[in-house]
Amino acid sequence: MSTTTLDAAPRKRKPRREVREITLLVVTIAIVLGVGLIKPQFMRYDNLEFMVLSAVVLGLIAIGQTFVIMTSGIDLSVSAVMGLSAVVFGLASTTIHLPLAAALPLCLILGAVLGSFNGLLVAWVRIPPIIATLGTYSLFGGLTFIVSNGTQVDQVSNQFAAFGNANLIPGLPIPTPVLALAGVALFAWFVLNHMVFGRNILAVGNNAVAAYNAGIPVKRTLLFVYMIAGALASFGGLVFVAYTGSATATTGTGDHVELQSIAIALIGGTLISGGRGNLAGTVIGSIFLSVVITALVFLHVPAIWYSAGEGLMIVAAVTLGARRGGAG
Amino acid sequence: MLATSPPTLAFGQDQAPDQAFAPRSGRLSALAIDKSFLANRVLKRVSLSLSPGEVHTLMGENGAGKSTLFRVLAGIHRPDAGTITLDAAPLDLRNPHAAQAQGIYLVPQEPALMGELSVAENMYLGMLPTHGIPARINWRSIRTSAQTALHTLGLDIDVRDDARHLSIAQQQLVECAKALLRGCRIILFDEPTSPLTSREVGFLFGIIRRLRDDGYTLGFISHRMDEVMDISDRISVLRDGAVTDEVDRTGFDRARLVSAMVGRSLSFDRKRIHRAGVGTPALTVRGLTHPTAFRAIDLDVHPGEIVGFAGLIGAGRTEIAEAICGLREKSAGTVMLNGQDITTASIPHIIEAGLVYVPEDRARHGAILPMSIRDNATAGQITRLQRGVGLLDRVREAEIAKQTIARFRVRARGPAQPMRELSGGNQQKIVFGKWMSTNPSVAILDEPTRGVDVGAKEDIYRLIEELSDAGMAIIVISSELEELIALCDRIVAIYAGRITAELRGAEITAASVGAAFLGAGSPPA
Repeated sequence: MSTTTLDAAPRKRKPRREVREITLLVVTIAIVLGVGLIKPQFMRYDNLEFMVLSAVVLGLIAIGQTFVIMTSGIDLSVSAVMGLSAVVFGLASTTIHLPLAAALPLCLILGAVLGSFNGLLVAWVRIPPIIATLGTYSLFGGLTFIVSNGTQVDQVSNQFAAFGNANLIPGLPIPTPVLALAGVALFAWFVLNHMVFGRNILAVGNNAVAAYNAGIPVKRTLLFVYMIAGALASFGGLVFVAYTGSATATTGTGDHVELQSIAIALIGGTLISGGRGNLAGTVIGSIFLSVVITALVFLHVPAIWYSAGEGLMIVAAVTLGARRGGAG
Repeated sequence: MLATSPPTLAFGQDQAPDQAFAPRSGRLSALAIDKSFLANRVLKRVSLSLSPGEVHTLMGENGAGKSTLFRVLAGIHRPDAGTITLDAAPLDLRNPHAAQAQGIYLVPQEPALMGELSVAENMYLGMLPTHGIPARINWRSIRTSAQTALHTLGLDIDVRDDARHLSIAQQQLVECAKALLRGCRIILFDEPTSPLTSREVGFLFGIIRRLRDDGYTLGFISHRMDEVMDISDRISVLRDGAVTDEVDRTGFDRARLVSAMVGRSLSFDRKRIHRAGVGTPALTVRGLTHPTAFRAIDLDVHPGEIVGFAGLIGAGRTEIAEAICGLREKSAGTVMLNGQDITTASIPHIIEAGLVYVPEDRARHGAILPMSIRDNATAGQITRLQRGVGLLDRVREAEIAKQTIARFRVRARGPAQPMRELSGGNQQKIVFGKWMSTNPSVAILDEPTRGVDVGAKEDIYRLIEELSDAGMAIIVISSELEELIALCDRIVAIYAGRITAELRGAEITAASVGAAFLGAGSPPA
C-alpha cells in the first residue's frame, strides 16, 4: 500500500460572490441620486415608477436570456417574441376585449410555443443557437408586422392598464408587475439552485457531451430552456403593452431588447461561455440599464447619442465586472 | 492517510440511497468487436476479457485501438459488430449511462469534470438525489457522502470547491470516486498516468491496488513500460486493431511486449557512438541566472553534438531552455549563437538567427489541433511562403506538408487532415517537422517523445540523429534515462537549478546518469 499523499492544488481565495451585485446596486443608486441632484424631476414618483416598470420588462426577458446563456446558447429572438406578444394582446384587448385573466395564460403559451420552435432548431436540428435565433428573430419580427398590419396598437383596455399600474397590495406603492418580476426571479433562483432541472442547465452549459454521458437529457433541457425564454419574453411584451398602453411592429426589436437582455446577463455576472449564471445580478443589471437609459434622457443628452451612450455604459459595466474576477 | 482508511471501498450501496445503479462485478468480455470510423477500421474482430481481481493492461502503439476498445466497453461508441458480455450475459450498451448502470465506468484520458460546478455536484452528476415536494435537491446529503467518498480514497479535497480549482491528478481521482459512488465495479482507466508526477502515480496505483484486492475488475492503458510491469496482473497487446499477444505476470518480458506492439524487434540497448564536440560552439551560455529558478549556468554545444539535460521534473531544465530561447526573463548571463549575442534579442529574431525550442506540451504550445497538417507544418515559416503582396504560395505550402509527412513517417490521410485526428506520436512528428523546416543551427527539444509510442519514438530518435549528422547542435531535455543514454554525446545533470555534473563518452552509463538525476554526480570539471 502506498504511503504517498497527494498535493492539494494551490487554493485561490474565492472572491465573495456578492461583491458584483453590491457594486452594481451601489453604482445604480449613485446614478439615481446624482442625476436626481441635477434634475429633481428625475426623483419624482412617476419617473421612478417608469424606470422600475422598464426594468421589469427588461428583467423578465433577461432572466430567460440568462437561462439560455447558461446552456452556452444565445437567444436573439426574444425582442421579436416580446413585440409579437405586445401587438397580439394589445389588439386582442381593443378588438375582442380579451380579459386580462385570459390574456396572461395565453401570452405564456404563445411565448412557450415560439420558444419551443427555437429549442427544436437548436437541440434536434442542431443549428447553432446564434443562427437559429437570428432566423426566428426575423421570422417572429415579420409576423408582428403582419399581425399589426404595420400600424400602431393603442387604446388598450383599462383592465390591461390597471395591471400595468395598479398596486396589488393595498397601501403599498408596489406596482403589480414588480411583484410579478420578484416572483419569477425567486422561482428561477429556486429552480437553478435547488432543482435537478436547474443543475442540468448548468451541466449542459459546462460540457454538453459529458452531461449526455452522465445520463442528463440534454435535448429536453435545451428545449425547456428556450421555451422558458420565449414565455418570459412574451410576458415582458404583455407587461409593456399594459403599462405603456400601446405597441407597434417594432416594439422590442426597435430598442434591440435582445442585445440589451444579453448585456444585462453579462453585466450581472453570467458567463457568456455558459455553465455559470447569476440571477440576482441579472435583476440588478436590468434596473441598472433602465436607470442609465432614462438618465441619458434627463441629462438632455441629444437623442442621437442615446444609443452610443447606452452602449458605452454596457461596455464599461461588463469590463469592470470582468476585472472583478467574476469571469475567471 | 491511506493507512487510516477503512479496508473496503465498497461504499456505493449505502451512501447513495437514491441511485438507480446496482453494483456488479464480474468478467467483462468483448467478443469479436468491430469498429470503424468512416473508412478507417480501428478495431478488427477484437476479443478481450477483463476478470475480477485483476489489473488488465492494454498496450500498443498510438492508433492501435486501445482507447477505442475501452470506449466501446464503456458505451461511448457502439460497436459495428460483435458482442459485449458480463459474466456471459450479453449487454446492450446504448450509451455511457447504460454502461454505468451495468457497473462499467471509464475514467477518461482527459478528465471531463465541469469546472464551474462544485466537486460534490460533479460527483453526483446525472443522479442528484432529491427530497420533498417540489423535488428539492438534497445538497446536505450530497456534500456529506461526496466528502466521505473522497476521504475513503485518502483525498483531502473540499467538495464545495469549484472543480476547476483541482489539479489534473485530483480530477482523475474524483472521476474514480464518481465510479465508486455509482457502485461501478468495473473501472477502465484510459492512460491516466501521462499527466501525473511519479508521486501522483504512486498514489493512484495505491488506490488501484486496493480496488483490485477488493475484487474490482480493472482495465488500464499506459505507454510507460515500468509502470505497466509494476501495476498489471495481465497485459494484452493491440496492434492495428487486433490483439497480438496476451500474457500474465509470468510472461512479462519487455522485448516480447515491444515486438508484439510494433511487429518488429527494436533494440532497447541502442547506444550512440559518442562524438566529442569540436570546433567553435554553435551555442555558448555563460553565467545564465534567473531570480529563482536557476543560476550560473555555463554551457557550450557544438555543431553535430547532442547534449542531454538530465534531472527531475522541477529541477529547472525547461526554465533554462526557455531562458536561452528568450521565452523567459533572466537576471544575468549571456547567450551567444554562432558568435552573435542573442541575450536580449526578440523571439522572431532568435528563430531567424537559427535557434528553435520545441516545447514539451504540444497541445498547449506546439500543435494547433483544429487546423490541418499543412497549416501546422508550415506555421513556423509562413512569412517565407509569401508571394508578391502577402499572397500565400499554396503550392509550395502543400509541398512542404507532403515532405514533412514523408520525411517524418507520419501516419495520415494527407496534408488536409486536421491535426486533432492524429495520434499523439504523429502530432509530435508534425510539430517537430514545423520547427525543423526553418533549418535551425541549434535546436532544444523538450521531452521529444513524451506520450509517444515505441515505434514513433524510434522514428524520432533516428530523426534527431540525422539532424545531428547534418551538423545541427541539439539539446535534449528528457526524464527518461534510456532516452538520454540512447541519444546523447554528453549529459549535463541539472539539480535544483544548477549544473551538478557533466558526463561524456564512456562515463555515460545507466548508473552514472541515474545518479546524476538525483543530484548525486560529481561537480563539473
